[in-house]
Amino acid sequence: MRNKIVNEIESKFSNQGDFFIEEELINKTTIFLIGFKTLVDLTKSKLYVQQIANSNTSVKALFINLNDEINVDTEQMIKGILEGNLVIVSEDGKQNAVVNPIVQNLRSSISEPKNESPIQSSTDAFGDDINTNIGMIRKRLTTASLCHCNYEVGDLEKRKLSMLYIKGRTPKSLIDKVDRQLKGIQTDIDTIDDLNLQFGKRRLSPVSHLFATELPISAIHSLKENKIVFFLDNCPFALVFPNLLWDMLVSIDDRNFPSILSFMLRFFRVIGLVATLILPALYVALVSVNPEVFKLDLALFVAKSREGIPLTAFLETIAMVVLVDLILEAIVRLPKSVGPAITMVGGIILGQAMVEAKLVSNLLVIVITAVVIASSSVIGMQNSLYIRLLKYPILILASLFGILGVCIGFIFTIIYLASLTSYDIPYMTFRIKKEGEIK
Amino acid sequence: MTQRIQIAAVFIIIHLSFGYVVYPNLIYMLTETAHWEVIICQCLLQLILIWVYMKGLNYFPAQNVIDIYLKMGRWAAIIFLTPFAINLIVLASLNNRIHTEVIISIFLPRTPYWAILVLLFFISVYTALKGLGTILRSAIFIFLFVIPLVVLNIFSSSVNFNIHNVTPGLNLPPKFLLEMKFFYLLGFSSFLFLGFIASKTKLLFRQLFAAWVIVTLLSLSIVYIPLFIFGQDTVVTLKNPFLESMDSIDISWFSFNRQAIFFGVLLVGLVILTNSVLFWMIGTIMQKVYKWNASYWISAFSFIALIIALVVPNKNLLEKYFLWSSGAQAFFMIIIPITIFIYGFWSNGGVRGHGKK
Repeated sequence: MRNKIVNEIESKFSNQGDFFIEEELINKTTIFLIGFKTLVDLTKSKLYVQQIANSNTSVKALFINLNDEINVDTEQMIKGILEGNLVIVSEDGKQNAVVNPIVQNLRSSISEPKNESPIQSSTDAFGDDINTNIGMIRKRLTTASLCHCNYEVGDLEKRKLSMLYIKGRTPKSLIDKVDRQLKGIQTDIDTIDDLNLQFGKRRLSPVSHLFATELPISAIHSLKENKIVFFLDNCPFALVFPNLLWDMLVSIDDRNFPSILSFMLRFFRVIGLVATLILPALYVALVSVNPEVFKLDLALFVAKSREGIPLTAFLETIAMVVLVDLILEAIVRLPKSVGPAITMVGGIILGQAMVEAKLVSNLLVIVITAVVIASSSVIGMQNSLYIRLLKYPILILASLFGILGVCIGFIFTIIYLASLTSYDIPYMTFRIKKEGEIK
Repeated sequence: MTQRIQIAAVFIIIHLSFGYVVYPNLIYMLTETAHWEVIICQCLLQLILIWVYMKGLNYFPAQNVIDIYLKMGRWAAIIFLTPFAINLIVLASLNNRIHTEVIISIFLPRTPYWAILVLLFFISVYTALKGLGTILRSAIFIFLFVIPLVVLNIFSSSVNFNIHNVTPGLNLPPKFLLEMKFFYLLGFSSFLFLGFIASKTKLLFRQLFAAWVIVTLLSLSIVYIPLFIFGQDTVVTLKNPFLESMDSIDISWFSFNRQAIFFGVLLVGLVILTNSVLFWMIGTIMQKVYKWNASYWISAFSFIALIIALVVPNKNLLEKYFLWSSGAQAFFMIIIPITIFIYGFWSNGGVRGHGKK
């Protein structure tokens, strides 16, 4: 005999293959266990309920002991089932409870970071589970001023979003603005970019408002620097807001070395950044538009290395740059077992063949190699990608205006980056002012 | 603190931008010996004006020049600031054109000047449209990019120095003080933008003083490098003394043929930022006085400036017009600080008197 509520729930989930309603006899009364097999470990959960039932005399006491959330309405029961909880309804339907069950293990345990490789530092990385991620932060940052706000965002599905900040450090006005924005989210947040768009229009900009990191130590450091950290469930990254230019050049790991060494590391990253932006453009400018800049012997050397090459310097460079970006993308997508083969084919065979076939000059191969290496010297995969993108406009300007084009392109890039702000915090600022700090 | 460093950087960049192209020629025309006297006198005059300006502005905390004029009355704002804005348009366009000519002669002798002009204009207008914050932030990075090149220029040129080219004389009494061109020099040193920013940050005189010292030293180097290399008699015949002195340098171990390339790169950074500051000033003035969105004003006026720069036919006329424009600029440089100071002194005195009653 199933009561009205159970029937209602059953009809709601009638087309779900993994939905179950189990009848259990406890103290001579029947109770219904309802949930999803894929989310709830049914056998263990049954055992758990029975164990608690054995220590309680009545069904009512059992319900009270199982959970705080008892006797809720049908809506909440359905929500509970969807969230992966076990719903228990008594025979007459008058009593019910939403129980945290023994869950099916769908999560991988804490593993090492995949996209970042910290040196001389803790190697834990964030995982998919939002609560585990926040736990990892709490464990390392044991302070009462660490604040945690929960949001459920989205239209079709409600996705969990957590905001972490340190009270008294992060400016209150910033937190209020972010809070208002998050509460007003109407669309689904599927990707980091969906969330990014909520913080202001930057659809065509390569620079994100959020800096994604896998490392708890880096997220904690951001919190201490008066920033906000977001966690999205099923997203193994801490999303640091706002993203600053400095994040690309400075990592907390650097500070594990003596300060002179960390200064050196940062200096090399700056060189890497500038080299990625202007080296290909400089090659085009110096070879095709302004060869007179070099001293005679150097100019002759450059001319000689390009002897017999049919392509113009611009075409040659753009072909190589695109090819290299393709190889980099391909290596990311390919299975690990094929990756090294592609690297070899792309790097050695193709490079060598192109030089021998006189399609590109030796000098260009050196320049391109330097650029690829340099572009990876900055911190964060997305930062590396965006500076790889920014080199193209400069390259085009260089082919038109020579060294002038390189110079204008570089200055324009600086101005563009300087014009970016997230909630009035400039992208090029060094640090965010503490709450109450005088401007 | 950062903001003040940014303002100092803009201050130095604007002075350098005007300084490199026209400043030496004017100095060589003014005097044949003791050039340092002219530079020092001009810089001191400027320092006095800055002091007066700052004093005047400090009477009105958190207000900029336009607010103060509007306080005097709308008519005062219209009478003083409209001609100033028009003058700024001319200054910006001619400044851009002059730099374009120099840049062409260094980098791209075969490229038509309009192509480079349009490119420079586009970027300056873009920067101006993005607002003061962008200008100030990019100023720091452009400063870091430009100053090493300035230092490189100064040091690399020292290989060609001939000390005997310059006689460090004393020229008394300083007759040049009465010449019109001496005041024209002021027109190239635009410190007026300080009054347009003051609403955001309280400026301190001593920090500007440090920037002023740097500007003075750089002015000395700009004038004396061609003098050391060529001597006064040759220098007066040259069109761009600094450019030609850079072209004359030949360092055997250096892999680049022409030091002038670095000079050109430096000029590009300077002109873009200077023009964007000028456009931004125009936009701010017009928005506050005539109540219309600043970005429309900037777009419209920069277009006019572009047309002016395009129609000037040749370099001789260009220099003539530029001199006139800077004459007008010099007029405003004296008139605006003094009116602000007098009005501040007068109104503040009134308030104090009122309080006593």
